[in-house]
Amino acid sequence: MNAFDLLLYLALATLLPSLLAPKGRSGGMLTTLAYLLQVWLLFSLLPSVSQGGSVAACLEFAAFGHTIGWQLNGFGWFFALITAVSALIASAYATGGWERQCDHASRLHSLMALNVLAMYLLLGAADLISLFIGWELVSWAGFLLMAAPGGQSVQAALRYLIYALAGALALLTAIVLIEQSSGTIQLDALRGALASLPDGLSWVVLALVFVGFGVKLAMPPFHLWQAPAYGYADGPAAAFLGAISSRMGLFGLCLVLVQMVGLERLVGLALPFSFFDAQSLLAWAAAITLIVPTYIALTQNDARLLLAWHGIGQGGFMLLGLMLGNDLGTAGGLLHVLNHASYQAPLFLAVTAVVYRTGTADLDRLGGLIARMPWAYVTLLLGIIGLAGLPPMNGFVSKWLIYKGLLDAQMPLLFVAAVIGTLGTILSVYKLIHNIFLGQLRAEHREVTDAPWGMTGPMLLIAGFAFISGMLPGLGLYLVEPAAAALGLPMPSFDLSAIHAPNGALDMLVVVSALIGAIGFGALLFLNAGRSYRTQPLDNYAGGHFLTAQTRYQYSHHFYAGLLRVIGPWMRPWLVALEQGSGHFLDLASAASRGLYYHNGLRFLVFGTVVGLLWLLIVV
Amino acid sequence: MSIALQLLLMPLAAFLVGLAMVLMMRKVRASVERRIGPPWYQPLFDIYKLFAKDTQISHGVMHDVAIMMVLGGIICVVLFLPVPGMSGLSAKGDLITLLYLMMVPSLGMALGVGQTANPNGSIGIARALTAMAGYEIPFFICVAGAALHYGTTDLNQILTIQQHGGHLEHWGIVQMPLLAVAALFAVHAMLGKEPFEIYVAPAEIATGPMVEMSGKYLGTLFVMQCFQLFTVSVLYTTLFLGGGFSWFTLLLKAFAVVFISVLVTNVYPRYRTDDVLRWQWKWPTGIALLGLGMVMLQIGR
Repeated sequence: MNAFDLLLYLALATLLPSLLAPKGRSGGMLTTLAYLLQVWLLFSLLPSVSQGGSVAACLEFAAFGHTIGWQLNGFGWFFALITAVSALIASAYATGGWERQCDHASRLHSLMALNVLAMYLLLGAADLISLFIGWELVSWAGFLLMAAPGGQSVQAALRYLIYALAGALALLTAIVLIEQSSGTIQLDALRGALASLPDGLSWVVLALVFVGFGVKLAMPPFHLWQAPAYGYADGPAAAFLGAISSRMGLFGLCLVLVQMVGLERLVGLALPFSFFDAQSLLAWAAAITLIVPTYIALTQNDARLLLAWHGIGQGGFMLLGLMLGNDLGTAGGLLHVLNHASYQAPLFLAVTAVVYRTGTADLDRLGGLIARMPWAYVTLLLGIIGLAGLPPMNGFVSKWLIYKGLLDAQMPLLFVAAVIGTLGTILSVYKLIHNIFLGQLRAEHREVTDAPWGMTGPMLLIAGFAFISGMLPGLGLYLVEPAAAALGLPMPSFDLSAIHAPNGALDMLVVVSALIGAIGFGALLFLNAGRSYRTQPLDNYAGGHFLTAQTRYQYSHHFYAGLLRVIGPWMRPWLVALEQGSGHFLDLASAASRGLYYHNGLRFLVFGTVVGLLWLLIVV
Repeated sequence: MSIALQLLLMPLAAFLVGLAMVLMMRKVRASVERRIGPPWYQPLFDIYKLFAKDTQISHGVMHDVAIMMVLGGIICVVLFLPVPGMSGLSAKGDLITLLYLMMVPSLGMALGVGQTANPNGSIGIARALTAMAGYEIPFFICVAGAALHYGTTDLNQILTIQQHGGHLEHWGIVQMPLLAVAALFAVHAMLGKEPFEIYVAPAEIATGPMVEMSGKYLGTLFVMQCFQLFTVSVLYTTLFLGGGFSWFTLLLKAFAVVFISVLVTNVYPRYRTDDVLRWQWKWPTGIALLGLGMVMLQIGR
């Protein structure tokens, strides 16, 4: 039995504590400990998966003349590590205090463990069948986790399920086509095997795979389900889902596009009657994923939905980087998966801490909490600087790599698209931090305090990592290396603090030190320049009149009025209308057939038989 | 010159040049309005006056930290901007790093103003960030075009390419005239001058980010303005005007950039926030896209 077998057994065993001890905190503590062991096991697997190696599990069976098995390589390992750490942080946060306000804590723990197990099975798939098994498990486990709180989250989760089922059907069709055309289902044997497919079949496979995995990545036009499904989930679950769950789509997409088809083939696959080839088409799809959800996020009034929409947008960055195929783009795309997880989790956890104390995530009903919840503010601040991709956080490094990769690949329009996404993110995250923590403190939040240390600790820890790995990007890039090696993609030359490129380098240790040093100089100057007097956060005035805290005096609603006056008309929710329309059409169709069935069973039978025969006729 | 000395001298030089630029702005405005204008020491005296005020109101820790972020952030930017004789840290962070570092002081200011809990301040920030979305898009198109044309994002290499042979023909403005024009429009909005000054709204003290800033808080923002004038004009010079062989030529070009901006400023009223966006997304963006197309044709793609 090797470490990968142990990991799978341990992931299975992680389900148990919260099932066996549904009351009290012991279940959660044991679960957290189990995740810690999983992280340790994954690190012990690093030597065997680096440099293109892989570890096979003893779990395997035979079906239809094929051997179905599991085998973890560097690419799967990279995602598995992020999964385990995200689960560890979310579980520690829940156990540390959050579950005191939750009546289904044990369900949450066991469902999260189920998700982790399902993700390992997907990430360690050795063939197309085990990949599909993992994929379905991830979808169902995800659905259960999203639906755990009940209420509106069930509606959102059901919506996800419909998209996921459609995606799974597309994926299954693609798997059958791949098997038929190449004669094998083993992923190792399929490396580069799809490069020789004829153009027409290649386009069909690409479209099916794009639908199948793109649904999980919530790429437009399949983007509507994700924000409510993640946003309305339990806080720790939302952090876990937001950090890693939709990256499973990225994993699958890269597996097919990069490993099986190959980026050279994508470049050679020209779209008839256009200037596009498959690679640039996918890159533009990524750019649309990056822009559209970001500007939808800008208009949200619920902090959780705002963050969830940004999660979709950042997925576009990752795909964009990976589609470039050059060293900087690859490193940026993969590093952004890690970096995004490391700031998205604390963002969700900080917002959850605010909900834990105030009972709301409505951006119009908060404000001024910096004076009452300073640690949540610090976490959120580090998180939003990362999300916006500004120095000194790690989000800047991965985005820098992607920008440079785009310029090296001579794709300036995609570079501009990426910048447009970043600008939208900056606007949106300022609204987030302003409406929650800055501005006027509301009278009802006068007595609020920071969340318990059991919650604050984990979120600060992971936000601290986002800072450290921004200063020393080599930390993240060492973990990215096995993934790039497994995919067969190039990596730039780097060391612990710097990324070397002949035409413009980046040394983050110098950048961060210079920034901190200069801010220190600013502090010296500021502190020596005369005494200032601190006012009460509840004091306020307007036009010379003193206002008490009872008077609402906060600019938060419709924050970017000027911007929305310009871009608002472009943001008509026609896709929502289309989705609702098709839902209503299905309702109508099913009501009609139900009516026919109850009204006249015989006629229904005749009708059904005729339709069935017609379908058979068309298919045959 | 040793790197430590450079790190000391670069911000100092930037500050002094920035002060002179502020003085020039005031003098030009005065002569447009047929006044004499302030004496040469007025900007320095203003800073001294603001830092020496008795009444300085702090609205909380973030308000204070924000001021440090503003000053530190903008000083940090200067360290990555090569000037004649001093390349500072520019080998360790490229053009993209510099542009994103320039957003750090803006973020600091936004956070500080947010904590002052005055809705007029928040409105000012919302407008400032909206305006930023307006001018950064054309500016980044110009940057993308320039980076493609030079084949590098290293500012030292960009300067070397333009100064090769000492002729005008390698300058960015000769090679990429459309991008240079578009970037000039964007730079003008970046400096927050009329007609793009709705978010500062200096004529109405009650609206805008400065509303709760007193004493040293306002003084720091004044210092930031000096640094910003230097940074933006020198960056434009570096990208399109060949930088400077000596401080004399560099300053000549940088002052010319600010001078054009100041001349335009004094004859324009103010755009509404959404009109800033419409204008920036129509003219500079359109010109920049054309310029980018020309660059792409030149490099053969």
